[in-house]
Amino acid sequence: MLCQNCSKAQATTHIKRIINGEATEQHLCAACAKKLGFDSFFDDFSLSIPNFFSGFFSDAVPALAGRKTERCETCGSSFDEIVRTGMVGCADCYETFYDKLLPSIQRIHGRARHAGKTPPQVVAAEQTAAPKETAAPTREQQIEALQKQMQQAIDSQNFEQAAVLRDNIKALREEQ
Amino acid sequence: MNEQMMQSIPLSTRIRLARNLKEYPFPAKLSAEEKQLVNETVRDALLDGDDAGNYRYIEMKDLSSTEAVSLAEKHLISPEFASSADGRALILSNDETVSIMLCEEDHVRIQVIEPGLSLDKAWEKANALDEKLAARLTVAFDEKLGYLTQCPTNLGTALRASVMLHLPALSRAGLMPRLSSTIAKLGLTLRGTYGEGSKIVGELYQLSNQVTLGISEQAAIQNLAAIARQIMEQETAARETLRTDNVFIDRIYRANGILQSAYMLTCSECTDLLSLVRLGAALGILDVPLDTLTKLLTAIQPATLSVQEGRVLPAAQRDVLRAQKVKEALQNA
Repeated sequence: MLCQNCSKAQATTHIKRIINGEATEQHLCAACAKKLGFDSFFDDFSLSIPNFFSGFFSDAVPALAGRKTERCETCGSSFDEIVRTGMVGCADCYETFYDKLLPSIQRIHGRARHAGKTPPQVVAAEQTAAPKETAAPTREQQIEALQKQMQQAIDSQNFEQAAVLRDNIKALREEQ
Repeated sequence: MNEQMMQSIPLSTRIRLARNLKEYPFPAKLSAEEKQLVNETVRDALLDGDDAGNYRYIEMKDLSSTEAVSLAEKHLISPEFASSADGRALILSNDETVSIMLCEEDHVRIQVIEPGLSLDKAWEKANALDEKLAARLTVAFDEKLGYLTQCPTNLGTALRASVMLHLPALSRAGLMPRLSSTIAKLGLTLRGTYGEGSKIVGELYQLSNQVTLGISEQAAIQNLAAIARQIMEQETAARETLRTDNVFIDRIYRANGILQSAYMLTCSECTDLLSLVRLGAALGILDVPLDTLTKLLTAIQPATLSVQEGRVLPAAQRDVLRAQKVKEALQNA
């Protein structure tokens, strides 16, 4: 089969794409495939994730223009670099650029908070730090705790108590 | 539902956990020497006492590119990991069920492979290694974001669970595009066997979880197992309809005939024929052990053939050798 692009060389690269459920096929020679951006499988693999990911950040870039570049103290990455490569520099970058990264993270994962396991050191540290936290829970934590109680009340069909809890949550939300 | 047929559909299960050491920047920010330091730190933490004898520590620069690609063909490392040896190392168990990629996209990627659909068992093994790592080294973790990874798509549990499924009947019925889009809505993906961007060969698909933040490891695994079983049920039902299709049964016998007598087989032709024969065996039309066919699907890959032979073979010679290996395996089965 001849290349569908140049109609000269033998087609060696076959590209199947499914876009919105519709399949299209392209048969290209090696030179045209490269020219059109369909490189070998390995090249494509190593590039695809960051390229794909940097697309998520793109709309955050203009906001940065004309400002002094903020860099992560640990690894020296700027947010611009993270956007360009699609890769975060180090664990501390997540703290340094938390507010800027959050919208992109939410776009990938939804409005979520970690729900899986926790490493043992962190568990141990939390246990020693726990008394401080209970002394002054944030409003968000209070609401979270009340919501849990409300669910328990609903589960045990204690609807009167659930209604009281619901009103308390509402009041707390309004204060916010 | 025909349970035996169901069980013939999943070839293998994989669990992958990504972890990073808190005190080092992520791999893209490290020099080759720094990567080596990370690799050796992880090696010393994981390989001691009883475990030392069960694992090999391999610096990727000590492998030829053919050997590296063969490991990728066996799914022990990612194709991306095989593509560059710079500062990378691998901890591989002697039975090739556990492989730990060091300084791939993250410092540590623990991977466990189990045959068939066996998510719980694979998770237990991977989790045990993770516990050992976390007991000795400080892992990058944030209360809200979970395990911190170089690419934010893996934040949270940093767990990728996947099941490799043989779906010839659903593929032939043209149902895959619809199934893929339904699965995407459930937070899972269905793609080629070599992951992101790879094409579908031998009607083999990899079903894996996509969302890692806001879902526990157990929930992600249960969700994946439930969806895998639903797909397996649909594939089983679709296979039953093929039993009465004479044209199709003829194709299965012909595929078996070619595999038993061809002098040369290219990798893609061989994979397609093995897929048909595997389906024939699952339907009870052909008397070939499924296990033999599953093993052949990996053994006939180009780099794996070259490694077995101990030298890099030109394509035409490889095709002769491939046909010979397949013939032998089928006749001895």
